Amino acid sequence: MKKQIENVLKESTIITFEDICFIYQVPELKDAQKNMELEAAAEVKYRGDLTGKLLIETRGGLSMAIAANMLSNDVPSAQQKKDALGEIANIICGNVVPSLGRGKLEYKIESPRPLNKDELLKEEKQGNPLAEITFNFNEGRADIKFFVDGYSATKEKKK
Amino acid sequence: MALNTLVVDDSSVMRSIIIKTLKLSGLPLGDIWQAKNGEEGLRVLQDEWIDLALVDIHMPVMDGEEMLTRLRENDQYENLPVIVVSSESEPGKIEKMLKLGATFIHKPFTPEILKEVILAVTGVNNEETD
Repeated sequence: MKKQIENVLKESTIITFEDICFIYQVPELKDAQKNMELEAAAEVKYRGDLTGKLLIETRGGLSMAIAANMLSNDVPSAQQKKDALGEIANIICGNVVPSLGRGKLEYKIESPRPLNKDELLKEEKQGNPLAEITFNFNEGRADIKFFVDGYSATKEKKK
Repeated sequence: MALNTLVVDDSSVMRSIIIKTLKLSGLPLGDIWQAKNGEEGLRVLQDEWIDLALVDIHMPVMDGEEMLTRLRENDQYENLPVIVVSSESEPGKIEKMLKLGATFIHKPFTPEILKEVILAVTGVNNEETD
């Protein structure tokens, strides 16, 4: 399941950033991008036959670029930046959840929730993601993690 | 023909994106109205002449499915072109919306797709666009 989720996560993220934000991936992660400080995070939880969440973290000015491009506004407010990142998380999550392979059952996707650093640390302690990808943009970096309760990449490896 | 358009989505960012995309598409637009849930959307429909509605599914207060169901119960809006714009991928949910006479656009979408679908559902001639 990990590989499948990873592929869908990657594809959905690329399309969402390109179509909605007009932001395009750059191939290499530069050293400076590796050490960028966290600037914003949002999560979207889903419930159904399986439960879990999608978590997105941005670094290096990416959340500003997302909101500016989505809203055609060079100076988005803090709230607009949070809303824009949440919407991106919501779209990506909506695209990934059906590939959990139990499509006949309904999944309820909750509204996106912005997370501050403390909340993020707390969330991260709660388990490992099943799939995780990092995307590099000229505007910064995004780390996207997909969690399925009861599954993790480490657990799946052991199987 | 200028299309008076209603955009119903609980996310102000998403409403802005849809409106921006509509403007980019070169479609002949009239007034654009916004609502943040189905209940507000129905209220706008009562008060204004709307030619096209773009509606999200998951919204608080009244979701897109209930809004569409109520809308179709009213003879006046029986044939109103409705496009559901959502990241919903659950086939059963999408089918319900299609049965209610809506057309479905999956998020994320491009301006080209939005334009193509609007032209198809409204019957606006492509030559009328920019």
